[in-house]
Amino acid sequence: MTLATPTTTIRKPASAGAVRPRKLNILQRIWKHRHDYLYVLPSIGVMLLVIAYPVYYTVYLSFFNTPPNLALEDKIYVGLDNYWRVITAESVHEATWNTWVWTLWSTFLAFVIGFAAALALNHEFRGRGLLRGTLLVPYVISAVAAAYIWRWIFHSDFGVVGAISVALGITERPINFLDNVDIVMPSLIAVNVWKEFPFAMIMMLAGLQTVPEQLLRAAQVDGANAWQRFWHVTVPHVKGVTLVTVLLLLVTNLNSFTIPYIMTGGGPAGASEIWITHIYQIAFGRIRFGLASAYSVILFVIMMGMGYFYVRALTRGDDRSHG
Amino acid sequence: MSKSKDDGILSRPLGRRQFMAYTAGAGVAAAGLSSTALAQASKTGVDPAKWTAAYIKSIAGTETYDTAAECYKVVPKDYKGRLTYWYFGPTQASPQIEHDLDKQFWDAFKAMYPNIQVTALNLNYNEMIDKLRTSAIGKAAPMVVRLPILAGVEFAAKGQLMEFGPESVGYSKDEFWPGAMKSVTWKGKTYGVPTNNETMALIWNAALFKAAGLDPESPPATWDDLVAYSKAIKDKTGKNGYGMVARVNAGNTPFRFMPQLWAFGGGALDEAEENPTYKSIFVNNDASKKALQASYDMYVRDKSVPTSALTNTQNENQDPFIAGNLGMMIAHPSEYAVMLDRAKKATGEDKKVADEVVANMRYGLIPKGAARRAVVFGGSNAHVFRPDLVDGGLDVNAAKAIIAFATGPEWSTKMAWVSSNPGNLRGFKTKWMKERLETIKFLDVTTSMLPNGIPFPVVPQATEIMNIIVPNMLQNVLTQKMTVAAAADTAAKQIKELMNEL
Repeated sequence: MTLATPTTTIRKPASAGAVRPRKLNILQRIWKHRHDYLYVLPSIGVMLLVIAYPVYYTVYLSFFNTPPNLALEDKIYVGLDNYWRVITAESVHEATWNTWVWTLWSTFLAFVIGFAAALALNHEFRGRGLLRGTLLVPYVISAVAAAYIWRWIFHSDFGVVGAISVALGITERPINFLDNVDIVMPSLIAVNVWKEFPFAMIMMLAGLQTVPEQLLRAAQVDGANAWQRFWHVTVPHVKGVTLVTVLLLLVTNLNSFTIPYIMTGGGPAGASEIWITHIYQIAFGRIRFGLASAYSVILFVIMMGMGYFYVRALTRGDDRSHG
Repeated sequence: MSKSKDDGILSRPLGRRQFMAYTAGAGVAAAGLSSTALAQASKTGVDPAKWTAAYIKSIAGTETYDTAAECYKVVPKDYKGRLTYWYFGPTQASPQIEHDLDKQFWDAFKAMYPNIQVTALNLNYNEMIDKLRTSAIGKAAPMVVRLPILAGVEFAAKGQLMEFGPESVGYSKDEFWPGAMKSVTWKGKTYGVPTNNETMALIWNAALFKAAGLDPESPPATWDDLVAYSKAIKDKTGKNGYGMVARVNAGNTPFRFMPQLWAFGGGALDEAEENPTYKSIFVNNDASKKALQASYDMYVRDKSVPTSALTNTQNENQDPFIAGNLGMMIAHPSEYAVMLDRAKKATGEDKKVADEVVANMRYGLIPKGAARRAVVFGGSNAHVFRPDLVDGGLDVNAAKAIIAFATGPEWSTKMAWVSSNPGNLRGFKTKWMKERLETIKFLDVTTSMLPNGIPFPVVPQATEIMNIIVPNMLQNVLTQKMTVAAAADTAAKQIKELMNEL
């Protein structure tokens, strides 16, 4: 008995005379799917109102000088001057460095601690539910409340941590967490990691639960040790969720405002000033809406770039399934 | 024997203009005062010869005013309307009496104008300006706002305020300090009515002074002395000497640092000079650098002030002070009421300490420097926003009603009860002023600082200079990010760019 190959039975070589389906242009495609668009029209309307218009207005304002002694309607057109001023300003360079230190360390530490907690919680043990709930507490606490509490815990004169360190004889004076230009950023990052690691933990725990148990057992039977099972079986399976978690953490940290603003206001001497707090200070502390808008547009472009990778990471599976 | 002018004032009721004429005509008595004090007084209009503690006591309670009659001349009782009003009223850190008076104010206004529907918003002093700027741009401003003295001119320069002065509510400009009137004047036009004006004083803990081997009854005479006293307290007791405040974008910072800068002969611009032009930059002159160096010495060299000074507002000095852990600070007379409140609330061992601190609390003049003794001529003003910027439109009669009520002799005195002085000078002659002087300890000391008052520059850039540039300069020095000279030069450059922007 001879088995016909799929190529001979299913696929036929395309002949020159075959009729191709007519390719529709974008308008025709929209018209074809007009009913679908009708259903999403209200959402698009809301999006245009609350996202597109502010984006447009921010870009528009970024070309104007808006000094504090002028009303906004009297703004002066300055072309790309605001962009040049942002790019060349020393305070922006300082804030940029701080932002990357803040973002990369916060993301790295929150992810590592979150992943470690997820690995621990992925095993059955007594009190697992309670521990999981407890570890989630920082994530569900309001960021504003947390920032105020940590501000007092880290207070340079009468903070709890400083008092304990003096009482135990570890330091002579309370540790200066928030009023020292060298220590303020690590202190803020510690608070941010405390607030964010449960998010990474939940995401990674969800990812770990998709790793097939049989595969891990099979690897064990084949003689793989715990590290090899983790590295060769678990990690490849959670690669997708890792990417999404890291990207979300990166975007969240780049957009951070609450913790640094409430705890230090960007100080002392700008040592904890990051992009968003800096933009806020320029816009509302110094009333330079044009300059702050140019700064925001630059940040928007960077965020869009990251958003592109995020969407790609999210839809990669879909692309494969659609060939 | 001829009667003195004071006797004359006390012997019969005077009209408002007569009262002010007497007040202004006291130049002869000023002859014995220093030229710097007179120069300073020329900026505020507070005649140092006349406005002595004794004089203020002598006129208190000598006249009565009919608030209702004065207000109804402006807006009739049955007027029906609505009012939106923003102000910085009592906070959690305020003494109970301020909360009580705030409630009484609104109850009395409701009784005075039962048909005016009021939406009042009590905002944090340090956040108010930012919120107001945003709301004005978004055409959601309140009809009336009570703003810190520093801030109004920025909104006037932008054309966001209505021309509105004491005459709009039936009063005369002469009823207010000339310095206060300057703060509501932009390009010759008036954009507000002063509600209250005050100066602060130096408060110290006599017990800590004694423990440090200092005279418990004498405050430091000069800023150099203050630095030395602060160090002595730290060295001998381990407690912080002086309650420095150096937070950025917080109104408390310039109120405590500018007196130091001015005393040495410095300034941001030339606001402390006899005839300020606001065109010369003083922030990096030698005197300003000496003042900065004094702060550096206290914070970095001696470590005699709270480490948290860079993030603290004045509120964060209150707890250490009542706990006996802080030697000196610059504050309002209301600080005494705050401490009394806190002592009442304390329990056990804490109560004993708090009661001792209250008993040892002393008020004195802010130290002087090589150039002068100086204090910020502070206060606040009521302003009316342009109709098109007000959420729901402006009800001008409702605005007039509240301003007439709040800036008249009665309520401008009551609303300034423990922290300030009435903006309307007739308030000094009321029975409420007499009651204040009799019941509020140290009020006479803070009031006697009035002739040393220096107003902030009346330029729209003043808020940025005082709340951002000057505190940043201070932080650059205290964190050792920059040298004193570099920080001062950086601030001067920033001020120059700001002033030359348009």
